[in-house]
Amino acid sequence: MTPTILAPLQNPATRRKWLTIISGALIALGLIALYGFGLRGLWAGAMLAAAFVAGSDIAWRAVQALRIRHFSIELLVTVAAIGALFIGEYWESAAVTFLFMLGAWLEARTLRQTRGALADLLKAAPEVATVIRDGQPVEVPASSVQLGETVLVRAGSRIPVDGEVTEGNAAVSEAAITGEPIPAEKAPGSHVHAGTIAENGVLRIRATGIGSDTTLARIIRRVEEAQEERAPSQRMIERFAQWYTPAIMVLAFGAWAVTQDLRLALTLLVVACPGALVISTPVSIVAGIGRAARSGILIKGGQHLESAGRIDMLALDKTGTLTEGRPSLVEVLPLAGVDRNELLHWTAIAESGSDHPLGRPIVAAGRAAGEIPAPEAVEEVAGMGLVVSHEGRQVTAGNRRLFDTLGIAFDAEAEAALAGVLERGRTPIIVALDGRIAGIFGLSDQPRASAAPAMARLREIGVSRIAMLTGDQPQPARAIAAELGIDEVHAGLMPEDKLALIRAFQAEGRHVAMIGDGINDAPALAAADTSIAMGAAGSDVAIETADIALMADDLEKLPEAVAISRATLRNMRQNLVIALLTVVGLLAGVFSGDVHMASGMLIHQLSVLVVIANAMRLLRTPRPPGGGKGRPVPADSTLAPAAA
Amino acid sequence: MSTPLTTILRSDEFSCPSCVVKIEKALKALPGVAEAKVHFNTGRIEVAHDPAAAPVEALVSAVRSAGYGARPAAF
Repeated sequence: MTPTILAPLQNPATRRKWLTIISGALIALGLIALYGFGLRGLWAGAMLAAAFVAGSDIAWRAVQALRIRHFSIELLVTVAAIGALFIGEYWESAAVTFLFMLGAWLEARTLRQTRGALADLLKAAPEVATVIRDGQPVEVPASSVQLGETVLVRAGSRIPVDGEVTEGNAAVSEAAITGEPIPAEKAPGSHVHAGTIAENGVLRIRATGIGSDTTLARIIRRVEEAQEERAPSQRMIERFAQWYTPAIMVLAFGAWAVTQDLRLALTLLVVACPGALVISTPVSIVAGIGRAARSGILIKGGQHLESAGRIDMLALDKTGTLTEGRPSLVEVLPLAGVDRNELLHWTAIAESGSDHPLGRPIVAAGRAAGEIPAPEAVEEVAGMGLVVSHEGRQVTAGNRRLFDTLGIAFDAEAEAALAGVLERGRTPIIVALDGRIAGIFGLSDQPRASAAPAMARLREIGVSRIAMLTGDQPQPARAIAAELGIDEVHAGLMPEDKLALIRAFQAEGRHVAMIGDGINDAPALAAADTSIAMGAAGSDVAIETADIALMADDLEKLPEAVAISRATLRNMRQNLVIALLTVVGLLAGVFSGDVHMASGMLIHQLSVLVVIANAMRLLRTPRPPGGGKGRPVPADSTLAPAAA
Repeated sequence: MSTPLTTILRSDEFSCPSCVVKIEKALKALPGVAEAKVHFNTGRIEVAHDPAAAPVEALVSAVRSAGYGARPAAF
């Protein structure tokens, strides 16, 4: 029913823009008439017209709001503008309405830019997809692709669905999701995400996720929820604002009743909207979280942003976080009387019963030598190892503590072999066959190329204490820590030890962030002030549970995340100070008689724009933030980036 | 009564959080709208409505009559 009536009004934003321009032109005309030619009559007429042009939209919105029993800011401005006309202040009335319209228009424009980081993500989702139906490529809306259908993606186009590559090879730019500028090679069997771009080559993809069930959609939803979640400081301000506006209105009425000064009362109405104050924290948060999302860093809300901005200590897991998490098997030491192949065969059977990163290279080595059957019974002992039964034999594989717990004794030869492996800085896996120690495997894990520069950068930006928390032995842990410039190592830890350590750090007054993966880090992550997950693009659980999720498997995103959080926190405080000073300044100015209606509106609108402009600086935070000459992009992703 | 539906509208014209309550009230005043939530920070409007009594176009024009342009969005 309503569309036909509303059609002539068209788009409200366009209508307001023209009303503002016309009103501004009328004010200019009036000023020229008065100061250029002394035409007081024309001046008054032009100002009156300007007030009506700009005021019509404000008054109309005030009435619309009143009809649904809502007491709006527009109503206050309308009352003030009409009041000004009654006391003959044409100029004030025109200026107040014009500035209100102009300010709102500019504010909406600049706010659109602070929300723009997310708009880029939204745009990353393609609207059409080419699917193969009855052997023919057909173009359909991306949301109508069925699960399991084959989607054709040509070179240079965006992938419309989440899926698995069935045919073809391509370099795929995943920047929209991970913030990584280096394209990833995709081949049959690889997983691809909606919103990423096939740079070259043609891919056929079997759709596994469509529309709102894609990683991209989940990230967008998470980013928005994060932006909408109110930070503690924002909640405090909103409570204040709830009282501020009615209080000023009562004050305006009281001032008029006592002083009979209508001008003073109307000026109070004009400054009654604490615009800069209510907007100060949300704009910073929206800009900060949006800026982070652009780099593939998902900060899960204002509260986590405030917390992450205060981090002064970082605790890291070693395996899979600081290291590649792909340890290689470097030595197999069978004890006297044990056949090396037999030892490898049985250990591989045992380790195939678990998916522990330390077990994988042993399983791979075993498979290279022969068939490895799945074990019949597996008992995992968290943080220690596992006990496996197969074809009447029992295999025990794990660390020293597992053997001490089970009461399996070490003889001198076993002690010497273990000491040798540890001395060489390797991680030992001790293996017993049928309750007797049979041999020791030595594994070593490469630290990530991004680890050393990331640690250096974190210290540079003020994370003064970095500690490694690992279930691994002290010697190999120290070897890696030394390589990365980490001086605090807590090794041989059980999951509850990690938790206890985090609590101990907090008791020392530290604000602790913990980054880790795997079940054994879960309690420590939950206890930390900020929990961080890495490589989250592939894991929905990580996106859901961590306070900060780094989409890419790149440690250098960590200092960037901390720096963005810090910058946002600082920005929020600056905005609060600007807003509070404005409120105090305006009220003082109104009562001392220095601020009148037009100047009050001007200062108010300027303060809102200043606050938004300040928040927009966050979007320009360079990467890597705070320094460097742009982002080093190595030609080959395996090369370490040049030291910053 | 047909099945209730949640529709997402997006607007990039919000300039002051005071508009939030106004738009929510305008939407809830429509017959067939069960719930309306306006997020100032992101410009996202979530509406739970009965599409037979309150079609998406009616939601858009209700937001427009409150003074803001909005478009339906996929997510």
